[in-house]
Parts: sequence; C-alpha cells; structure tokens
Amino acid sequence: MQVEQFHYDNKIVKQFAFATALWGIVGMIAGLWVAIQFYAPGAALNFAPTTFGRLRPVHTNAVIFAFVGNCIFTGVYYSLQRLCKARMFSDKLSRLHFWGWQGIIIAGALTLLLGYTTGKEYAELEWPIDIAITLIWVVFGINMFGTIIKRRERHLYVAIWFYIATWVTVALLHIVNSFEIPVSFLKSYSWYAGVQDALVQWWYGHNAVAFFLTTPILGLMYYFLPKAANRPVYSYRLSIIHFWALIFIYIWAGPHHLLYTALPDWAQSLGTVFSIMLLAPSWGGMLNGLFTLRGAWDKVREEPVLKFFVVAVTCYGMATFEGPMMSLKNVNAISHFTDWTIAHVHIGGLGWNGFMAFGMLYWLIPRMWGTPLYSKKLATNHFWLGTIGIVIYAVPLYWAGFTQAQMWKTFTEEGQLKFQFLETVTHIIPMYVTRSVGGALYLLGAFIMVYNLYKTVAKGKFIANEAAEAAPLETHHSTGREHWHRWIEKKPMTLLVFSLIVVAIGGAIEMIPTFLVKSNVPTITSVQPYTPLELHGRDIYVREGCYTCHSQMIRPFRDEVARYGEYSKAGEFVYDHPFQWGSKRTGPDLAREGGKYPDSWHYNHMMDPRIMSPGSIMPSYGWLLDNKIDTASTPARIRAMQKLGVPYPAGYDQVANKNLLIQANSIRLNLKMDKIETPKDAEIVALIAYLQRLGKDIKGTAKN
Amino acid sequence: MPESTIYDPFVVTMIIIMLILLLIIGLLAHVVTGAAGYYYQQQKESAQQKEKAQEKNGNATAITTTIILLLFAAPLFAQDSQTAGAITQTGNAYGGLSATAFYCMAGVIAIELLVVFMLLHYLRVFLSKERSPEAAAAKAAVAQKRRVNIWNKMNKFRPVEQEAEITMVHEYDGIRELDNRLPPWWLYGFYVSIFFAVIYLWRYHVSHTAPLSGQELEIAMAEAEQQKAEYLKKSANNVDENTVQLLTAANEISSGEKLFIQNCAACHGKAGEGIVGPNLTDDYWLHGGSLSAIFKSIKYGWPEKGMRSWKDDLSPVQIAQVTSYIKSIHGTNPPNAKAQQGELYKEEAANDAKTDSLANKVALSTPK
Repeated sequence: MQVEQFHYDNKIVKQFAFATALWGIVGMIAGLWVAIQFYAPGAALNFAPTTFGRLRPVHTNAVIFAFVGNCIFTGVYYSLQRLCKARMFSDKLSRLHFWGWQGIIIAGALTLLLGYTTGKEYAELEWPIDIAITLIWVVFGINMFGTIIKRRERHLYVAIWFYIATWVTVALLHIVNSFEIPVSFLKSYSWYAGVQDALVQWWYGHNAVAFFLTTPILGLMYYFLPKAANRPVYSYRLSIIHFWALIFIYIWAGPHHLLYTALPDWAQSLGTVFSIMLLAPSWGGMLNGLFTLRGAWDKVREEPVLKFFVVAVTCYGMATFEGPMMSLKNVNAISHFTDWTIAHVHIGGLGWNGFMAFGMLYWLIPRMWGTPLYSKKLATNHFWLGTIGIVIYAVPLYWAGFTQAQMWKTFTEEGQLKFQFLETVTHIIPMYVTRSVGGALYLLGAFIMVYNLYKTVAKGKFIANEAAEAAPLETHHSTGREHWHRWIEKKPMTLLVFSLIVVAIGGAIEMIPTFLVKSNVPTITSVQPYTPLELHGRDIYVREGCYTCHSQMIRPFRDEVARYGEYSKAGEFVYDHPFQWGSKRTGPDLAREGGKYPDSWHYNHMMDPRIMSPGSIMPSYGWLLDNKIDTASTPARIRAMQKLGVPYPAGYDQVANKNLLIQANSIRLNLKMDKIETPKDAEIVALIAYLQRLGKDIKGTAKN
Repeated sequence: MPESTIYDPFVVTMIIIMLILLLIIGLLAHVVTGAAGYYYQQQKESAQQKEKAQEKNGNATAITTTIILLLFAAPLFAQDSQTAGAITQTGNAYGGLSATAFYCMAGVIAIELLVVFMLLHYLRVFLSKERSPEAAAAKAAVAQKRRVNIWNKMNKFRPVEQEAEITMVHEYDGIRELDNRLPPWWLYGFYVSIFFAVIYLWRYHVSHTAPLSGQELEIAMAEAEQQKAEYLKKSANNVDENTVQLLTAANEISSGEKLFIQNCAACHGKAGEGIVGPNLTDDYWLHGGSLSAIFKSIKYGWPEKGMRSWKDDLSPVQIAQVTSYIKSIHGTNPPNAKAQQGELYKEEAANDAKTDSLANKVALSTPK
C-alpha cells in the first residue's frame, strides 16, 4: 500500500487562534464595561451606543459568536485535519470562512452599537447579517464535509460526531429563529408573535448554549484533553450514549426559560422534565473527560494546559448540575429574572468555554510554532487569576440573586410588599461592585495569556504547512465482530441525517401544537394592535435594548400580582413582533406600566431617571428628547405588520401618519400642562405612548 | 423580686448548662492528666513488657467506664449546685435578659464546649496511642483502601494496569479509546431522572394532583388573605377613611415624612411644592383637603389623572401617617411652588369640620 504525503494547513488555524484571543479580549472588556454600569450609571457616558441596553448585546454576541465561535473554528480546523488524516477540503473556502466570519462580527458589533437589533436575545443581529451568517455557515459545512469525504481514516472519531451535530443543529436553529419580515435595510419584525415567538426564541437561545457553547466544545475536549494528557479516552461506550442522549434531550429543554410565563403549562412541564433528564448525559461528558485523566493526575500538577482543562470540565459539571435544578419550578421561582441566572451562565462561560479556549491555545500555539511555551509560570498565574476571578465573579451574584428574590417576595404582616423595587436594587449594589472585580481579574489573566502567547510566537518559527503521511482509504473489509456503533462512524452523511432527525423531534413536538392548537393562546377580544405612534415607541424600546433590564411578563405569584398587577395572559401578546418578555429584571417589570405614572413622569424619568427615582441605576436617555420620529417609515412598518397578520384595515398605511400626529399632539398637550415643552414628533413622545399602552388592553375588562 | 429573670426557665437552663459543662471540664481535666501520666509511663515500659499491654487495656476500659459514669452523674451534682450559681447571678439579672448578657452566656457555653471537645480529643489520643503503631498503620491502610474501593466500585473502575485489555483497536491521531463500562451510579441516576420525568408529567397533566401555575397563585392568594385577616383582627392597623384621625406625635410625623419622600416626592416634590402632581402645601385642593379626603386620595388614587392607588403599597397606618404629614406641611410656602389647582379648602369649612370631628369621634371610639 502506497503511503501518501500531504500537509496540514496550520495557517487557517493560526488566523482563527489570533481572532479568538482578540475577540476574547474585546468581548470581556465590553462585559466589564457593562458590569461597571450597574453601580456607576455614568459609565454609559450619556451616549446612546454605550448604554447598557446596546452594549450588553455587544458583550454577549462578542463572547459567544466571536470569542467562542473563533475558538471552535480554531479547534475544528486543527483537529479535523488530523482526525481525518487530510488537509482541509479547500484553502479558499477556509479563507472565505475566516474573513466572512470576522466581517460578520464587525458588522454585528457596529449595527448593535447603532441600535439595529431584532430584540431577540442572542439573535439580535438584523436580517442581512442573518443571511450572511447562513451563507458562511454553509461554507464552513462544505469545507468540513469535503474534508471528511476525502479522509484517510475510515471511522469518524467522537469529536467529529459532535462537530457534525453542531453544524446541522446550529443551521436549523438559526434559520428557524431568524424568520423575519424586512421593513428596511436594517430593520425587520420577527415572523412569530408573543407566546410563539418566545417559544421559538428560547428553543433557539437554550440550544445556542447547547450546540454552540457545549457540543462543539465537547468535541474539542475529546481531542485536546487526551492529547494533552497523553491518555486514552476513558470510555467509548460512554461517548456513544452521552452523545446521542445529549443531542436528543437538549433540544427539548428550551421552555425552562419560560417557567411560570404565559407559555402553556404542558410545554413548561416538558421543559422541566427534559432538563432533569439532561443531567446524566451532560455529566457523561464530564466523567469521560475527568476519568481520562486517571493515571495522569501527576501531570495536572505541572501542566497549565491540563489545569485549565480540569477546571473547565469541572465548571461544565457544575453548570450542568445547576441548570436542571434551576429548571425545577420551585427553584426557578427564585432564580429567574435575578442575577442567579447571570452567575450560572458565567460559570459556564468563564469556566467551561473560557478555560477550554485558554487551555487549547496554550497547547496549540507552541506546537504550531515548534517551540515550548514562553512561560509556564505566567500560564499558571493566568490559571489562578482566572479561577479566583470566576469565584469572585459568581459568588456575589448568587448572593445578590437570592437576596433580591427574597426581598421581592417579602410581605409585611399587613399584607403589603415590604420593599420598593428600587430598594431591592440598591441593596445588592455592593455585590455588583465585587462581581466586576472578579471580572477584571479574569480579564487581567487573559491579557497575561496574550502576552505569553505573543512571546511564544516571537521566539518560534511558524509551521504553515505541517507534513504528514497516511495510507489512502481502501475498500473496507469488516473485521468480524465490531461494536454496533462502528457502522454509523463510517457514514458521515448518515450520521448527519440521524443527528438532524434526533434534534428535530423535540423542537417539532413543542412548537407545532403551540402554533396550530388554538387553545394554547386563547384569544382576548379587547387586545388591539398598536397604534402607529405606539408601534414607533415599541421599535424605540427594542432599539435601546430595554428588554435587557426590564421584563414584560408578570408571573402568577402573589408578590408579582401585588407589585405589577394581574398576571400576564398568552392572548395579550398576539401583536408583539418580536415578544419582549425579557429574561432579567434589573429594573421593574413593565408589562402593566401603562397608566401607572403620568406622561410627564416618564418624560423626566427618561431625561434623567434619578430625578424621579433617586438611586436608580438606569441610564439617562437624553437623545430621545431631541431625536425625531422616523415618520417616513411608518407606512412600511404598518405594511410589514399587515403581512404578519396584524389586522390593520386595508390602506391603513396611508393614513397611519395622520393618526400618529393626532395621538402625539395629545401627549404633547398633556406634557405642556405639566410645564414640559416638547415637539410632538420627538421620539420620547412615541416611547411614552408605548409605555402608557403596556398592559392596558385587559385592564378595563373583568379579571378572568 | 418575683420579676427577676432568675426565675425565667430559659435563664435557669442556661446557667445549669454552664455549670454542668464546668463540672465536666473539671472531671475530664482530671482524667486526662491521669491518662497522660499513664500513657508516658506505658511508653517507657512497653518496650520490655508485652504482657503489661493487656493489663493496661483493662485499665483503659476502667478509666473510660469511670468517665462515662461520671458524665451521667454530673447532672446530679449540677442540680445541687444550681441554687448556689443562681444566687451569684442575681445581682444584674432582672428586668429581662439583655442581648449582651445573653451573648456572654452563650459565648461562655461555646467556649466550655470547645474545651470539652479538646479534652475528649486528647483523651482519645492518649488511650488509642496505646495500640501498637503497626496495628494503627494497618488500620489506616484498610480505611484508605475501603474508600478507594467504594469509589472504584461506584464507577466500576478497572485498575490502570489492566488497561491494555480494554483498549479498543482503533486509534485517531494517536488518541486511543478504552472500553470502560458506564459508571453504574451514573447509569442508575439517568434511569432515576427518566422515572422522575414520567411521574412529574403524570402528576401535573394526567392525575392533576399537583397544582399548575394558575392554581398555585390561587392557593397562595387564599393563604395570604387568611393570614392578613387574622393579623388585622388583632392589630390596631384597621384604620380607614372614616376612622382616620390626625396624628401629631413627632415620630408619626417623621415616619410620614419618610414615606412621603420615598413614594410621593417624585411627583409632588420633596417639600410638597408640586412637580407633576399638585402643590400640597397651599389652600387649594383638587379632591378635597380634609383629612379623610386626603386619606382617600392616597388610598384609592385618581388613576385617570395620574395619581395611583397606594393601598397595596402602604398599610392603613402608613397612609394615616402620610396624610398627617401632608397636613403638617400646610402653609409652609416652599420654593418653586406650583400654581394653585382645584378649589379653595378651609379647615373651618362647616361641613368638612363636621366630617372631621365625626371621623375623630369614630376614631376615638375605635379600640386601639
């Protein structure tokens, strides 16, 4: 048998690795910046692009899709070539993938800062960028499958199963969740409304965690951990079981983000039970990682790469234990909408994703430059800074979340809420300060890594094309008794299709009835479409990212009903494209904000929240007082809504602006009575109209 | 002195505990000194005389028995000495136990307990050291091995040395795979979670024995109503617009002021001068300036004019305090006062005065 000579492409790995480090730093700086705004609202700089509502999506998108995304591609492009014993299918596609992805990141960051957002968490990017993501993802897929097809290794290693499942599921999630109707070049409305939008969004959101932050990283773990420890993978059959169980069960768990909301109870229950069943498959991955280190624990003491991996896998285990617990209704009643969730995701983000990325870079860079790491000591220092940073980050937030939830729920003996919402926020500010210290330590560690890697690169010589040799694939002869699963490991396309079927089941069973069965969203006749002015106000609300701090979902709890009013009903949100239920209450719920305060209160509050609520940590929104409503786009907005089935009368798009000005004028006059002069076409007027509308539709009707 | 806290059963118990512990410490200290002396003596002799070890063990048992007996006996002594201790405490212990006194006593007990545990620990050391060092080492090894065994068994670990037997034939870029069995605890945990899922869905959606979100709220509300009713029945908090009376005590007014700053100042100004809401210090009122009218405005609000209802946020007494505070700032003429709104209201106006005095009468007759 002739052995073939070929070269692995290290250049693409290098590019992705550098991008990982760069975007990691950028994303973490954005994170630290928003963390500081919690106790120093002035850090928003009174500048629209740097307010929390716009900067927070930049942080989440940067760390998820830029930092972890590039980390995934680094690892995949390195390991896939070696596991398939083949160079990447096409160098051109590799470059296209790299530059396309970086272009998307930059375009995403800019549009988010400028306020172009769909208002759906972790899917904020607007439609042209969504299309670009789809195209680049297809490029990645062709490149990956091309490589797999010309492989010189008959069977696919477990890491590749995870890559394949990741690719197909992310494609499915992204496409289904991004259905939207364009209004203009950078503005669209979600195809779905209210409850359905929420279900699709959290099916997506939860599985972005599953299939972007978990399965590909597990794939990387299966390659880099045994490599770095030089130990065999602990259990092949554990790999098989936990892989299939994980991808099948994960997809169902989305509704645990919507417990106690207006989502139908049966869907909530499915979310809970599948989250509980998810615990074992998740831990299967952790155990396979940690047990692989059996007999190599002495190496962990000396090798910073393994230190990072051990803490990463442990954090993965902690986060995947905590997740199912938070999906239990009684725990969720406390944890949801508080900082507990933030602490939870950062155990996963900082611990699992961050530390896997760092460990991988520390292992890869010296190998690709043919030199030992510049300083093991610095890497160990980075490890300790990062670990301590995570603890100092997470513990105060757990404390804050728990404390705040208890304060929200406390009643006096007379039956009154004991604490004003604002008191519950100011009470936990010390915890916010501590959290940002933890984050800063973690960031400092990342800077040390960049320095260390830079020094390593400077001292070594880059091996752009790494020579390798392997025999080509010959027709396969079955060697008698084989494990049953070996069959599918030879068939990448079958594996792809099976993965797709397995992940499609859960989503379909949850979504189809919610869309088709009428009783899931009972109609409320008094619920009417938004007026054109309110619609503009809503778009401003979405643009400024108000949903990052304010929920619009009153859960059926005694304290929430006392604080905010009648709990939210599914039928109230049928015209909400997109839904704005939110996932965090840094500020109070706004579902029934309408009529709670006079117009002038809102005006002053937006100008400077601290005038009306001393101690508030909300940013000032001065520009809303000067910006003009974009009335030219009103007809397009109305037409888009009509296409989505919102029952505006035919031809309403032509009279909408007239209607808008009448309503705006009445608000202007209202403000004038309180000695506030404002032009009637200022954005603040639209926002006030929207806020005063919130939750009012069913206020007049009897409580039933 | 019948009021003296010395007769309080709680204080008495604390003192008894303190004394018992003191006694135990004394006895233990005695035994430990004995054991220590004995231990060192034995160490000297143990090299030559092996038979003595037997005897010594007997002695050790004897000592332990004595200790145990003494421990049981201790409360009896304590009972006797109770009165003596109690008398020494009488001097500064009446009119209820102050926090400081309580923490001092608790601290003493804690320290005593600590000493007891330390003594017990030393006693154990001295008595157990009598065993031969080899036996002790063997025991430790067994303990460690058992622990490892449990962990290994839980995971069905194969020793690392036997790895070759379960290494799979394939290899990817130098990565080999073992064919270890699934950790049993993991597997059974997975089964349990599936079982949990079935039961959960059954209870919520088939047998309906667990309350769904909406029902949970109804239960919580009913419970809250009942608690509130029970509380209000026995409290003086039962004020409403008919029974409210002007509060004049300084602390009531300052509570009112605090509440006003927290809740009302946003719209009515810190000094009640009026911002979004009307001026509350002048003679003009949109909805009546009498005590009961103001009380009512706060309680029920005038939602269509932007004044919300506060009855779910403030208790009736709190509303009375705010009302009284508002009455107290009448005529203060704060800077930046908002122009007058509504109708002139005079305190002396006949009908209002009547209502007020009537209200006062009702209030007076309400049992406090």
